[in-house]
Amino acid sequence: MRRLYLVTRDLHLYAGLFVSPFILVFAVSVVYLVHGMARRPAPGASDPSRIVGDVIVPREVLQLQGRARVDALRPLLDQLDVTGEIDFVRHAAKEHRLIVPVRLPARDTIVTFDYEQHTAQIVSRAHGIGEASVYLHKMPGPHNADVRGNSSLVRLWHLAADATAYAVLFITLSGIYLWVVLRAERRAGLFLIAAGAATFWGLVYALAA
Amino acid sequence: MPSPRDTVFVWNRRIHYYLGLYFLFFTWLFAFTGLLLNHPRWEFAQFWPNRVQTVADHAIQPLAAGSDVERARALMLQLGISGEIQWPAQSPPPGSLAFQVTRPGLVLDVKANLDERRASVQRTQLNGWGVLHVLHTFTGVPAADPRHARDWIMTTIWALSMDAVAVGLAVMVLSSYIMWYRLRTKRIGGLAALVLGYLACGMFLWVLR
Repeated sequence: MRRLYLVTRDLHLYAGLFVSPFILVFAVSVVYLVHGMARRPAPGASDPSRIVGDVIVPREVLQLQGRARVDALRPLLDQLDVTGEIDFVRHAAKEHRLIVPVRLPARDTIVTFDYEQHTAQIVSRAHGIGEASVYLHKMPGPHNADVRGNSSLVRLWHLAADATAYAVLFITLSGIYLWVVLRAERRAGLFLIAAGAATFWGLVYALAA
Repeated sequence: MPSPRDTVFVWNRRIHYYLGLYFLFFTWLFAFTGLLLNHPRWEFAQFWPNRVQTVADHAIQPLAAGSDVERARALMLQLGISGEIQWPAQSPPPGSLAFQVTRPGLVLDVKANLDERRASVQRTQLNGWGVLHVLHTFTGVPAADPRHARDWIMTTIWALSMDAVAVGLAVMVLSSYIMWYRLRTKRIGGLAALVLGYLACGMFLWVLR
């Protein structure tokens, strides 16, 4: 029993310390999200841009959809030194353009391929720490599941976000165990659990019932 | 008689316990639903295909002149519904009023013909998994549309509770640093876990720009 306590205490400590910066990122971004403070405007005409010539977009890319199109575009973006998660691709057929938004936590880039002129215009905008944390908070998320995770960044972050959630669940359970075993703050703790449960279930009932 | 320094450390530990126990259910909700949102293909948690939709037609009383929000609230009062108002992207034709009322687990599409004094309400009821999903993201502040202000008191209370959980988690992280630093035998291992955590998290936020 003593050994279980010691192991649990160490795991609670080390897992908590390792995951603490991730918890801070999620906590800080909550405030941004709840108050609509991170609008993340798209790159526009006032942002730095460059045009690259001799960019050949294979015709078959235009026929593809979803993940297949995203995967086919990746070598072209590598050629242009543009890295990040490819978002929803738009094909403006009348203008012979393929518009590809590429996102990093702290940078958005829009690459516009003109497949008739064989050019690519690259417009980029940097974002602050708040927008970056909000972006990470929402990644990978429930939308565009077919396309999401097309960059190593988001695949890695997916693992990190899952690990943070599992670690938080473990830390709460081990925290309860440590609190029970230590017998410290027993009455105050029971009162706070009951108060927290009443607040939580009361709110959920009022919102959803 | 404990010194003021010891009193600070005792209260630091108590705050760590107290916040953890009070926010236990909130933390479980957001950690678990974070996993659900990042794994939209998990079969057991599907809710949209299992939704129940019904449509009802109602006779309504004339609405007094006022802003869209005021008229929507007056109509909701007549229909006996409550929730967060969402506006469609396009304005409805003159003589009509269209909006959506949402709350966790329930979406009501209201379309009123003010000239004919009729309103139809399409009710979309989600299952328990749907309620959990929406609780995670229910802030009442969606895209950058000035008409989308938070307008239901319960949304405001829920948003404030999200803020409180975020602040509570941040305080717990900071108090854990003090508790760890006081454990002399755990300083090196803890420092290694903390530095590794910050390096991993910092890579996503700062390095990958």
